[in-house]
Amino acid sequence: MVRLGLCRPECIRSNEVPTVMSITDARPQSATDAASASTAPAAGSGSLLGSGDHRAIGLVYVVLSLLFGAAAFVAFLLGQLHLVQTSFLSNSASDALLNASELGFVLLVAVPLFIGLATCIIPLQVGSATIAFPRAAAMALWTWVLSSGLFIIANSIDGGIGGGRDRAVDLGLLAIVGLILALLLATTCVVTTVIALRTPGMSLDRVPMFSWSMFVAGSVWMLTLPVLVANVVLIYVDHHYGRPSEFGVSSVQGLQIGWAISQPQIYAYVIPVFGIAADIIATLSGRRQPNRGAMLVAIGAFGALSVGAYAQPYFFPEVRDQIVWAAMGVLIILPVLAILGGWGALLKGGKPTLRSPLPLALVSVVLVLLAVLAGALGALTPLQLRETPYVAVGQLALIIAAAVTSGTAGVIHWAARLGGRRAPEPLGLLGVLVLLGGGALAGLPLIVLGFSTKFTGLADASDLLQYLSIAGAALLALGSVLALLALLASFRGEEAPADPWGTGQTLEWMSTSTSGDSAELVTVTSAEPLLDAAAGSQEA
Amino acid sequence: MAATHALPSAAPVQRPRVLVVGTAFISAATIMTFVGLIGIYLTQRAAIIGAGDTWLPKGVSIPLQQPNTMLFTLLMSVVTMQWAVHSIANNDRLNTYLALSMTLVFGFATVVMTWYLYTLMGLDISSSSQAVLIYTITGLHLLLLVVAMLFIALMAFRAFAGSFDARQHDGITAAALFWYALVAIYVLIWITIYVTK
Repeated sequence: MVRLGLCRPECIRSNEVPTVMSITDARPQSATDAASASTAPAAGSGSLLGSGDHRAIGLVYVVLSLLFGAAAFVAFLLGQLHLVQTSFLSNSASDALLNASELGFVLLVAVPLFIGLATCIIPLQVGSATIAFPRAAAMALWTWVLSSGLFIIANSIDGGIGGGRDRAVDLGLLAIVGLILALLLATTCVVTTVIALRTPGMSLDRVPMFSWSMFVAGSVWMLTLPVLVANVVLIYVDHHYGRPSEFGVSSVQGLQIGWAISQPQIYAYVIPVFGIAADIIATLSGRRQPNRGAMLVAIGAFGALSVGAYAQPYFFPEVRDQIVWAAMGVLIILPVLAILGGWGALLKGGKPTLRSPLPLALVSVVLVLLAVLAGALGALTPLQLRETPYVAVGQLALIIAAAVTSGTAGVIHWAARLGGRRAPEPLGLLGVLVLLGGGALAGLPLIVLGFSTKFTGLADASDLLQYLSIAGAALLALGSVLALLALLASFRGEEAPADPWGTGQTLEWMSTSTSGDSAELVTVTSAEPLLDAAAGSQEA
Repeated sequence: MAATHALPSAAPVQRPRVLVVGTAFISAATIMTFVGLIGIYLTQRAAIIGAGDTWLPKGVSIPLQQPNTMLFTLLMSVVTMQWAVHSIANNDRLNTYLALSMTLVFGFATVVMTWYLYTLMGLDISSSSQAVLIYTITGLHLLLLVVAMLFIALMAFRAFAGSFDARQHDGITAAALFWYALVAIYVLIWITIYVTK
């Protein structure tokens, strides 16, 4: 029998940030084989660049995406401020800020934030000593970092989508292609880990909820983001080599890729919100999730209903008048309600430990629910909500707020695995207030403003509502910084025990190792192996 | 307070085919890229033809001989690629090397033929949106074909170095999977761009 949670010396040592290329791309015969490969001596302090350690890679994603999140919310804030105070910026600068922030929300913030958490946590959850293809994961990270820099530079010199400087626009388009390819490669590593590196006995219906949600999200991303690559490549070829004749014309570039930041596609970026919340709620309640299979199906259904690559109004102008698009926009409420019902059943049976990850997780799901409800209203043609861009922008703000809130919940929940220590609770509680307020304020006023075509009185309150949205964006920028501080704080102080919550259910809580390199291959017989083990110990 | 849990140790296991799974996802993403491009191509073509115009600009013709030759070349390469997978599964290294080499030759022939077709078409990329679409789709396929050939060449070198045998030959299987995906995409391109003009 393997005694899990006993802190061996090598576990303590492995709390240091591993800085070595941990394993080759050859498949490990077992986790222990891989572990022996990954505990090689560190190659030096400068070796982060070549590190294949999943924790080091994931942490870089999380830190940078939170930093980019703060910057993107500030850019969004400035762009919105110009819409109210027209003399604040030039029109082109305002458009550039809004375009850059909207695309940046997806490619620099939401998707990489979840990929970072997944890269850190999923190998531990499925009992693997490493992520699949560690070198590819490292290459994806640094390609993403480089492309992010190029994206920011291009946008800052009028080279964003629809920008005015030809060479800078070419650079910006190439940066977008680089960003998406990097994220797809990183997604491949994460999804392959879930499929192929699970510990014995862990069938797909037994994987932890976060791993399952990343499997669903990754599958949807792999099927839809390549279509976005196709759009951007077409724009690039026409812009660079053509006159441009059609696709590369500045005024229509944004229209061609607008589907990627509209419903239903935007829901795909927050599928992991449900997995993170499910793991947090189950852990803090200390109980097994009832109707777990139904929860898995509901997350899968949410993913299926978020596939939006077909809904490209620029090429298919009537697509948003079709029943399929409207039905997807309305039906997607059902899986969200089913998931909420499942958590209701879980929480009904016992009193959960009230720690900051729990309200953060619930806030993130509420923000998704609000976005989905707004989307359902927008899908109903008689309401004419699609005649203004407010609802779509408000929905995007809610979705990104949900992603950042969920990421913050994940950072605090898994702080012991990310940094080796617990995150300070006061930062988490402050984060709850800031992110709830920020998310609601950033998105809801814009959605209300969308009704101005029906209720003329709302148009008079336009400035007030937009100021509220601006205040919300400022709070969300602050929330991103708080999440970053919570993460950094988890590197200092007293070392956390293997299971700091005392009620951990899944394999990431079985050892103090933060890199999985001391994990021993175990057999699991249910979705909550540590509860099984605890019950077995009590019976003994 | 650390919780102490006990779970049974597992026997060493043979992991599933990690490289094949990863390549399957990459192949799916590649196919979706072309589905997106060809969807746009068909929509634009239907709009232009629906407006009473011809799809290809005046003075432009795409011959069918070269695309047909490429199709049969690539279909033969599927046979040789499968031959390589079958050979390595039987520890037949000589036939593996031969089959991989032939696949690379077929791939190279396709690249050359595509280039030759470009010179025959007389289609200026800056002349129309049709040209942009045709060159983007076929050019991207050409680029990925070269990437797949590098993948196959890398796996061939690893096979030379003795990395693969009957028990473990995921590298060659993965390369074959990606190659088959690209051949399937070419069949789609052949029908939509070269045959139904």
